[in-house]
Amino acid sequence: MSIQNTGTWVGVAPWRDLPQLPTIVVYLVGVVPAIWWFWLGAVDRLGADPMRELEHTLGLWALRFLIFTLAITPLRQLVGVNLLRYRRALGLSAFYYALMHLTTYLVLDQGLDFDAIGADILKRRYITIGMTCFIVLLPLAATSSNLAIRRLGGKAWQRLHRFVYLAAILAVLHFLMSVKSWPIEPITYALIVAILLGYRLARSLMRGQSQGKLKRMSLSDSR
Amino acid sequence: MVIPWIGFPLAGVIKRAQPQGNAKFVAFETLKRPSQMPGQRGLFQPLDWPYVEGLRLDEAVHPLTILAVGLYDQDLPNQNGAPLRLVVPWKYGFKGIKSIVRISLVAEMPPTSWNKQNPNEYGFYSNVNPEVDHPRWSQKTERKIGEGGLFAQRHPTLPFNGYADQVANLYAGMDLRKFF
Repeated sequence: MSIQNTGTWVGVAPWRDLPQLPTIVVYLVGVVPAIWWFWLGAVDRLGADPMRELEHTLGLWALRFLIFTLAITPLRQLVGVNLLRYRRALGLSAFYYALMHLTTYLVLDQGLDFDAIGADILKRRYITIGMTCFIVLLPLAATSSNLAIRRLGGKAWQRLHRFVYLAAILAVLHFLMSVKSWPIEPITYALIVAILLGYRLARSLMRGQSQGKLKRMSLSDSR
Repeated sequence: MVIPWIGFPLAGVIKRAQPQGNAKFVAFETLKRPSQMPGQRGLFQPLDWPYVEGLRLDEAVHPLTILAVGLYDQDLPNQNGAPLRLVVPWKYGFKGIKSIVRISLVAEMPPTSWNKQNPNEYGFYSNVNPEVDHPRWSQKTERKIGEGGLFAQRHPTLPFNGYADQVANLYAGMDLRKFF
């Protein structure tokens, strides 16, 4: 009887011998785009509609960091590069950019006009979706610490953090619905998210199949 | 912002063309030249080129409707629609078709590019109207370009972009929610 390969690549990986960066570096590098773009805004180098440029870029970086977190596991499973220790930093960076994106919308775009904001959230579908995405990210950010993992227990924590898949889907939908016509940029991000999530789906389906085979085989052996 | 266009009334051009009795609309077409315009090349195009636009005849001969040949005392740059572009200041900017290569007087309402792309969101008239929202976002407020930078305040959008006194009579009795 053949044993199915679980999919991890075992072998000599020369890059494993590189010195490991402390995670603080991820946070420091991650904040660079924000500082850069806020500075461009301050010196009026963001073009004719600077607020929109800033709002768009902050949202884009939130999506990019979200994609980085989703790429960690496939990278480990397909190529053997394990960047798991940086996933929390990448995920929190995504959350901070989402928070900055939301703050830009509330303060700079809408001038804290809560009537208009409330109407937007209820009536503009892409804003409803964006706000839902942020709300999904909140518990994930709040439970990102080691303390939270211990309190929740590994299994519950893992189940909660699977909601990042929903956040990623909502984020690309929010992007797609906020533009006119079908420009290539949001479609590209949607495809990337689809591939990263599709890979996980395919893996779990295949594992389900092979586990099923093993179960059936072991039953027939015992008879 | 208020743009200092240099141009002449479209009415003069139409008068010279001597429209026949059944001419009800003016149709415009822009240049399609992918060899010179990278934005028109490639597999995924956001719009169906060439860009087309249209006006009702009374809108076209209104004194505020101009064909622009320049702005800020300069010749019209390519990105602003050289050599000839339409300016209809009480309508949303995409009605201002650029680099016009053909103007036709037609009996039926002509197709317009954004209406073709999404008839649910873009109508033929496209008058600036704070009361009628775009399906996906509000049009009640606006920021002015060049004012305040990152911290520009929002202002309420004015009906017909502030030209209500001059053009509202063109739409007397029309349901502007239906004919958006």
